This record gives sequence, structure tokens and C-alpha cells, in this order.
Amino acid sequence: MEHDRRRRLTLVATEGEATGEDAKSASRSPEAAASRDLDWSILMARAQDGDNVAYLRLLQEIAPYLRSLVRRWHKDPWDIEDTVQDILLTLHTIRHTYDPARPFGPWLVGIANRRAIDRLRRRGRQVLREAPLTVEHEATIVASDSRDDALDKDGLTEALGGLPPIQRTAIDLLKLREMSLKEASEATGLSIASLKMATHRALRNLRSLLSDRRDW
Amino acid sequence: MDTSDLIRSLATNAPAVKRLRPPLVRALGWLLLAAVIMGLMTISHGVRPQFAERMQDAVFAINMISSLLTGILATIATFFVSLPDRSRGWLLLPAPPLIVWLSTIGYQCFAGWVPVPPGAITVEAASGCLATLVLTSLPLSLLMLAMLRYAAALRPTSVILMGSLAVSAITATALSMFHPLDATAMVLGWNLGTAVLFLGGAAIFSRKMSQAGGVRDDGAPR
Repeated sequence: MEHDRRRRLTLVATEGEATGEDAKSASRSPEAAASRDLDWSILMARAQDGDNVAYLRLLQEIAPYLRSLVRRWHKDPWDIEDTVQDILLTLHTIRHTYDPARPFGPWLVGIANRRAIDRLRRRGRQVLREAPLTVEHEATIVASDSRDDALDKDGLTEALGGLPPIQRTAIDLLKLREMSLKEASEATGLSIASLKMATHRALRNLRSLLSDRRDW
Repeated sequence: MDTSDLIRSLATNAPAVKRLRPPLVRALGWLLLAAVIMGLMTISHGVRPQFAERMQDAVFAINMISSLLTGILATIATFFVSLPDRSRGWLLLPAPPLIVWLSTIGYQCFAGWVPVPPGAITVEAASGCLATLVLTSLPLSLLMLAMLRYAAALRPTSVILMGSLAVSAITATALSMFHPLDATAMVLGWNLGTAVLFLGGAAIFSRKMSQAGGVRDDGAPR
């Protein structure tokens, strides 16, 4: 089984699809692939000891290889990229389980296959319960949404204009510009308590103004 | 998030980690603790009446040895199969003694061979039995859970089932040493039954979660 996996590692790497410059040049022969595996083992062992530079190099080197591996399971580029990220996160979480005395390839491929199959299952479930969004759906949704949005925007601007100046400032700073209470207090010179009170009153006023308008 | 950004953030947050010991060493460590618990329970309960006589009996002896072997091999298999680079073939390791063990249970049930002391099967005895069983198996299960938590990301189902088998077999061996009743069926029911219950629950729950998760994936409720 382990022998098979190592062979698979070599085979996939020798296809050379988007495996990066290093991988491309290194994977031309089985000896080169074995030496690359050894390099990765060394890098991983250093990463386990806390060498961040070695870890960064390792992750950058394996990413193209993982992409080529995942391409056997997934066709969609987003799925491929998400799976690669899943694999990297799993690898990071369980990096203490790698034994530097053993080859790195089978360990990596074990994690990669697991994550790729997991995503395949998830996609399978999604396909069962979701229908594709057609152009017609989008057209109706966008049209109705944009008209409603425009009306809401106009109404809101008008309602804001009708507020007393302090309340308008409070809403503008805290809700529209998303400042913190402290920042807004520094900007206006008002106390935090009065800003809170102004916001509360402004929201109450806006609610009544907007609901009145909707009644028209 | 872009993959290259993810790589950079992972690499900057990677403190040194303590490597796992080889799976065989870890399995032996767990078995050692199991032996300690078994010893303590046997001391506190005292060896069952007629233990030496019972060991003379071939079926009882085979039952006990096969359950002990199943426990040991299932433990080794659990620790091996929990690692990403080890073959799933390890799952077959405890199969031979398991078959012998289950067939001796079957034989005992079929032949009605167990000489039950009069009045032994009562609600009190059975609940005492269950309490001992929980006391023996719970620390072992919890320790195994702690030692194998990383396997959640890899092969959780096979690891959980194999681990439950290991705990069941060890508990059954321990119980047959100090318990007046042969409680193997209860032990298996408890440990594997609990594992199956959890797995079934997880299967149903995860399906529901993934359906609810669809809302999060899309960003808008349907």
C-alpha cells in the first residue's frame, strides 16, 4: 500500500501539470522525485522544530503539487483551490503526527486524498439539494432588488435630512461611517452617553418617519 | 482567502511541536495503563470465585485469551490506522482473535454453559455489573480519545470503531477476571453500542448541519 502511494506520488508528479518550476525539474526521474521527497521530509522535520522559513518553503513547494493531485478528483478551479487550502490547514493542525524517519510523500497524499474525498462528498450533497441559478432568476431578482434599493435609499436620505443636527451627526458617524463610540466622541466633542442617547432617538425617529412614508 | 496568503499566515504561526511517538510505543503505553486499571479493579473487587477452576476450562480460557488478544491487537491497529500514511489493512489485525472470541461467546450462549450462581441475575447484580463496566471502560475510552484526537480530521469512523473494540475487549477480559457473571455481551453492547449510537447520531446530525450550512455557504437564506 505504501509502495503504491509512493508510486502514485511519483506518477502524478511526473505528469508535471502546474507543479511549479522546482517540481517540474525535480520530477523527471524517480531518483529526482525521491530526492525531492527527502527534501520535503527534511523541511517538515525543521518545521516541526519551529523553523518558520523551512515551513514556508515547504508549503510553497507542495502547493502546486497538491493542486495537481486534487485535479484528479475535482474539475472546478474553485473546488481545487478550496481543497488545497483544506489540505494545508489539516497538515498544519496535525503536523506533529509526521515521523521524519518515514517518507513525507505518503503522509501528505494520505491527508490530501482524505480532504479531496470529503469535498467530493459535500459537493455531491449540494448537487442533490440545490438547483442551478439561471439567467431568468437573476434578471428578476436584480430588477426588483435595484428598484427597491433605490426607493429605500431616497427615503432614507430624506428621513435623515429631517432629523435634528445632533441626531443626524450621531447616525452619520456611528452607523454610516461605522466609527466607534470613542472615535465619534473625540470627533464631535460630545460625551459617549449623549451620543448613545442621540443615536437611540435618531433610530426611533427614523423608524417612525420611514413607517409613515411607507403608509402613504 | 488566497492560497499564498494562507501559506504565509500558517508559516508565521507555526511554533515548534512535540512529535508523536511511534504508534507501537503509544499503543503499549495505553495498554500499560489498561493493565494498571485492570489490576486496581481486580484488587478492589478480588478475583472472582473459582477463577483457577474456570481457567482449567478450555472454552473459558480460550474466551479470555482471545478477548485479551483482540484488545491488544485492536489497540495497535487503532494507533496505526489513525495516522495518515498507514494502510487501512491494519484494521484487519484483530480479526482472527475477534472471530475466535465471538465464536466462544456464541458457543456459551448456545450451550447455556455458564454455571450461574443461584439468584445472581437480579436487577441489582446487573446494575452493579454495568457500574463496574462503566468504571473500567470510561477512563480507557477517555484516554484513547485524548491520545487520538488528531484523527478527527482523517479517518474518524474506523478509528472510533477500532478504538471501541479495543476498549470492549480489554474491559471484557478485566470483567471476566473479577466479575462473577460473564458480562461479555453487555460489555460489547455498551462500548460498541455507544460508538454506533454516536456515529449514527453524527451521521444524522451532520446531514442536518450540512443542510443548514447551505444557508451559510450561499450567504443568503433560501
